[in-house]
Amino acid sequence: MTTALSVLQVVLLIAVAPLVRGTIARLKAVIQNRRGASVWRPYADLVKLFRKEDVVPTSASPIFRMAPRVVFAATAAAVLFVPVLQGSTFFSMAGDFILLVYLLALARFFLVLGAMDGGSSFGGMGASREALVSTLAEAPLLLGVTAVAIVARDMSLSGIAHWTLAQDPTRISAVHALAFAALALVAIAETGRIPVDNPTTHLELTMIHEAMVLEYSGPSLAWIEWANSVKLTLVLALLVALFAPWGMMMSLSVPGIVLAVGAFVLKLAVLALTIAVVESSIAKLRMYLVPDFLGVASALAILAVVFTAVMR
Amino acid sequence: MQILFRTFVASLLCLPAVTLVAQRWARARAVASGVFVLALLAGAAAAGLGFWCGAAVSLDFSAVSPFPFALSLDRLSAFFLLLICVVAAPVTLFSATYVERHYQGARRAWLWVLLPLFLGSMVLVVTASTAFAFLFGWELMTLFSAGLIVVDGDSEQRRHDLFIYLLMMHAGAAAVVAAFLLFLPGAPGLGFAAMRAAGAAMPPAMRSALFILAFVGFGAKAGLIPLHLWLPRAHPMAPSPVSALMSGVMIKTAVYGFVRLTFDFLGGGPAWWGYLVLAAGAVSGVLGVLYAIAEHDLKRLLAYHSVENIGIIYLGLGAGLLFLAHGAPVWATLALMAALLHTLNHALFKALLFLGAGAIGHSAHTLDIEELGGLQTRMPVTGAAFLIACCSIVGLPLFNGFVSEWLTFRSFLGGATLANLPSAIVLPLMAGILALIGGLAAACFAKVYGVAFLGRPRSSEAEHATEVPLAMRASMEVLALCCVTIGVAPAFVLSPLAATINGFVRGAAMPEEALSLARVIPWIAVVVVLLALAATLMRRAARLTPTWACGLPGLDSRMQYTSTAFSKPLRKVFSQVYKEDRTVEVAPTDAPYFPVSISYRSVRTTSYERALYRPVMDAIVAGAYRLRRLQTGNIQVYLLYIFLALVALLVGMRFV
Repeated sequence: MTTALSVLQVVLLIAVAPLVRGTIARLKAVIQNRRGASVWRPYADLVKLFRKEDVVPTSASPIFRMAPRVVFAATAAAVLFVPVLQGSTFFSMAGDFILLVYLLALARFFLVLGAMDGGSSFGGMGASREALVSTLAEAPLLLGVTAVAIVARDMSLSGIAHWTLAQDPTRISAVHALAFAALALVAIAETGRIPVDNPTTHLELTMIHEAMVLEYSGPSLAWIEWANSVKLTLVLALLVALFAPWGMMMSLSVPGIVLAVGAFVLKLAVLALTIAVVESSIAKLRMYLVPDFLGVASALAILAVVFTAVMR
Repeated sequence: MQILFRTFVASLLCLPAVTLVAQRWARARAVASGVFVLALLAGAAAAGLGFWCGAAVSLDFSAVSPFPFALSLDRLSAFFLLLICVVAAPVTLFSATYVERHYQGARRAWLWVLLPLFLGSMVLVVTASTAFAFLFGWELMTLFSAGLIVVDGDSEQRRHDLFIYLLMMHAGAAAVVAAFLLFLPGAPGLGFAAMRAAGAAMPPAMRSALFILAFVGFGAKAGLIPLHLWLPRAHPMAPSPVSALMSGVMIKTAVYGFVRLTFDFLGGGPAWWGYLVLAAGAVSGVLGVLYAIAEHDLKRLLAYHSVENIGIIYLGLGAGLLFLAHGAPVWATLALMAALLHTLNHALFKALLFLGAGAIGHSAHTLDIEELGGLQTRMPVTGAAFLIACCSIVGLPLFNGFVSEWLTFRSFLGGATLANLPSAIVLPLMAGILALIGGLAAACFAKVYGVAFLGRPRSSEAEHATEVPLAMRASMEVLALCCVTIGVAPAFVLSPLAATINGFVRGAAMPEEALSLARVIPWIAVVVVLLALAATLMRRAARLTPTWACGLPGLDSRMQYTSTAFSKPLRKVFSQVYKEDRTVEVAPTDAPYFPVSISYRSVRTTSYERALYRPVMDAIVAGAYRLRRLQTGNIQVYLLYIFLALVALLVGMRFV
């Protein structure tokens, strides 16, 4: 039953991912005094794209069409390691968050290759910028999770979630505060939100992710967009699991499941609102300020690891 | 086992003569290279038996040699012998076609004679069980590889680079010899068994001196920064299959020597040994990959990546030393497993990358990736193998590089359990360094593969490139298969690796962590592959159109991002590392707003030569000038020297 639930939470996360994106867009619209599209709009977009044909550049290699599928597969596989409704995950092991980070890296590598295969300068531009951002984001991401793992004395994500569940929510440690700050900054960079990247831009001077997928259309684009939503939701779920897992199911019961789903939806809604507020009130950073942004994240993550010494 | 190993050694000894005789006829050359591959497979079989079943063999030639000269194959030796043979067999197969097409007459003969000799010297290094045999092989390895570099041409620049190579190798060898000789006061002879016994009983200061000598001597061969100066010069100069052997195998013998001396003979030491090795690994890893990103000559780029990967290996070794110093042998086992597995993995994927470079050079006649592009559609098999190698070296899951990098990460995280405070902080922080190295490597290989194999060709050579012949394809496929196999199902190497380490680290045991990864990763592979396949089967019809050019006609292949442009943001962020010298010349100078031509040049200088090597060289030369005063040309003075030396010796003998 626990196993069934671990499968269920994976399917749930992949299924609600477009909704999270739709919600953020809608909240942004409301904050900016617009009406905005329905929260279900990303699903409609996906259905529309899946029905269309792929338009492929004549010079492209098979990699061009393979890349979006690999991106989706790797991102979806990464979800297997994130505790959502319960502390346990499907493949829990010590050090599983390294595998998670590297599965996302696998997805990104193929996204970059797909962008380079288009043969236009836009793809290369986006790829080059993505390479910069992700290179600098990887270290703080791993160190941030590591710091929390050291405090929890458990190197698996489910172990960390279980440990945090048993703690008092009102007592936060310095390590958690630092690691949360670091991971929140990394989450913005990893998911391509303002102030690092603007997901709605179509101006070549500012775009990173959008430049990479410019040559894609039809089902290929749909896979990339879906994978992108899954990644956003995954990173948010990771923040929840590491820092605020309370509400997750401790023992199996029907009210427990309802409570867990409700708590998860509520926490996602809070994070979505935060993103919407941040995106509506902050301007995008200049490209060469992004390393400073991630430098702050790295410094915070390093401090978090150093401060674990105090917690011993 | 005994017979296999003897056959292998005997055939390696005969091979140079066989290949030399076979040079006359094309068919005989093919047969000789076939025999060569078979001999290597026999070696791989012997080594495999030693590695998996733990069967030990020894061969003693002391009766026919003036010095104690013996070979033996324990598990550690068997592991490295396996590495050599498994990499060398496909490389030889590749060479059979490559050398045939690119070299004629005397140069081809030299290549075919030197290749088995070079391999033989490396085999001697990893199987030697006396100091003399080891050092003999160590010297021959340098000389034969230099010989193989000379075969590929001669020019002022090449001679200069080759001189640097030989000089640094001999300086390193001097340190290695000194390290071996330091065992003498405590050991009855220089057999490995005697040295192992002496190592445990040595005074601490002596052990540290020995460790430093081994670190420097083997570090020079491994290409640790700042001793890496020769590596990006020597590796690209050699023919591609030889580069594959030098980068894939030769520098690994240094890892073998270092492990043998510090872990097996000395059994680890104080914590500062670990910190030193960790620091060297971190510096080599980060700087190596940063230098690689700035390169666009494929072989130089790959050579810098060897520096990076040696850095990762040394990170694992350093963690192992730290764990041993703090009495955590199981974690040390994990760290050593990571280092040794990465040694094997790097040998596989780096040899594959260099063979891929050879295939590109063969078909497109250039190794400048700015001139390549669109090769994936023109050379599908080479491209697929090269992509697998890229994924492996970047350390992406489902490929072998990930397994060893994960083990390294895991051992760093394990450092948090240590009671010793600095180590418990430093080791987890090293995970950040490793993540940075991984991210930079991903950027670099996305650049390499994306610019060279994807998009549209940037030159007519690249446009007319065709797939390479069967033997070359097959050899790359074999190596790619090895990379994927270890990446998806690592269990079959992990257990014997733990047993290997158990052979020389006291208290070592199979760490639970390694098994849990081996349990999970095949399932992840199944999930990813099934999902990707399902998504691919769902595909609808595709329409081919030219790439969108913002509505303008004629998108030029020159409009694609170049390798230099791709790496520009990273080079800008890490500009402190590169020290670029930029010159922009605008002509004519009197009309800056209406230039006829603008020429831009950006030269990346690494300041090691200026800041580190030049002062040392100057000091040595100045010292030599000072010593010259002794040389007066007056025979009476020389007689005085002899007399004084005699007196000094007699006085010395009196007091010893």
